Amino acid sequence: MTQITRDQLTAYADGQLPETERIAVETYLSANPDAAAEVALLLRQTDAIRTLFGPAGAETVPVRLKPRRLAAEIGRRRIRSWGRAAAAVVLVGLGLGAGWLARPLIEAQPASAMLIADAVNAHAVYVAENRHAVEVGGDDSEHLSTWLSNRLDTRLGMPDLVAQGFTLVGGRLLPGEPGAGGRAAQLMYENAASDRVTIYVTAALPDGTPAYQFASYDGAEAFYWANARITCTVVGTLPEEQMKAVAGSVYSQLTEGDVGAGRPYRG
Amino acid sequence: MHDFLDQLEACVPALRRYARALTRNADLADDLVQDCLERAISRRGLFRPTGPVRAWLFTILLNLHRNARRTSHRRGEAVDIASIPEPSTPASQPGHVALAELARAIETLPPEQKEALLLVTLEGIPYAEAAGIIGIPLGTLMSRLGRARAALRVLTGTPVEPHLRTVK
Repeated sequence: MTQITRDQLTAYADGQLPETERIAVETYLSANPDAAAEVALLLRQTDAIRTLFGPAGAETVPVRLKPRRLAAEIGRRRIRSWGRAAAAVVLVGLGLGAGWLARPLIEAQPASAMLIADAVNAHAVYVAENRHAVEVGGDDSEHLSTWLSNRLDTRLGMPDLVAQGFTLVGGRLLPGEPGAGGRAAQLMYENAASDRVTIYVTAALPDGTPAYQFASYDGAEAFYWANARITCTVVGTLPEEQMKAVAGSVYSQLTEGDVGAGRPYRG
Repeated sequence: MHDFLDQLEACVPALRRYARALTRNADLADDLVQDCLERAISRRGLFRPTGPVRAWLFTILLNLHRNARRTSHRRGEAVDIASIPEPSTPASQPGHVALAELARAIETLPPEQKEALLLVTLEGIPYAEAAGIIGIPLGTLMSRLGRARAALRVLTGTPVEPHLRTVK
């Protein structure tokens, strides 16, 4: 007697048995009324399911489900989206062109603003450092001065702020705005109360025209000036009077007059 | 290309039928079929396996349906009132499964059993193809079908048949 599995009975009911097995199952069913009843039930289930849901397959297919129409629609959408992409390319091109043309208008003002922002940011980052506040300590100020002068490609002395109560902690080299040589030097000073001020120096901007600006930025005071040789931003959080005294001293020591005199900066 | 569209067209009635049975909502079902066809048309050549498109289309449809079900789980499902068969149609003949009862029973099946059962019974798709469409091994398909049918039998109140003795 062949052994018939439940899966075979199911497959039989589902019409999925190969010919030879089907005959075997039929023989088995004729001898086993229980199994025959089981198969009959399966068939009734299938019939009922087809009665329930079958009619949906005989309904007229709505136009929106016609593959040819859908394909045409998709084709049109593709063309439209290519059109939109092309239009976007043109618009971006126009925008870039206009932006390029308007460049002098846009850039005229913010060069100083960017430098001040950089200076204040560098100040905020490094005054918070203790052991790594500077790259080269102030005790080797001659080396510091030579090094930074070489890197900025301009002579940079270390201003003396002893009269204002500040001594040089040291300095570091930083990346800077491309318009101002791409590099910046930061000098850090500290007083007895551990207040710190930083001086952010870059090579001159391309136009090299003198400019002065006093800005309050992100909780710090910044005094910025530019001349034909350098830009300089003094940053600190001191009271205004003290800030002005420090900035004034830095300014007078780093202005062109000093360079013209050829006098080495003190340090 | 035209040959391909013809093949799609030939499958549309079956796709609608299956989608309707899955969703119990005529509009949702046709949306599903439309999504499925659009996907098939825009992906042809890229992803289409060689061979008949039917299995491929059913796979796409089923995936779309599963995704939609996952989304609608969060929103609550919409069932088309017209698609719910009239209740209280008593079995006209003894042993006949009452249709309304069966429809409700199918609704209560776990989705993976419902998918499998409808593919095989409603669509008459061969086991191997159905297992491929659902993405499961043949044995898993068979056990899902078995569980689905047993559950329907209990849910529709058909007396449980004595157990088959010869198994193995």
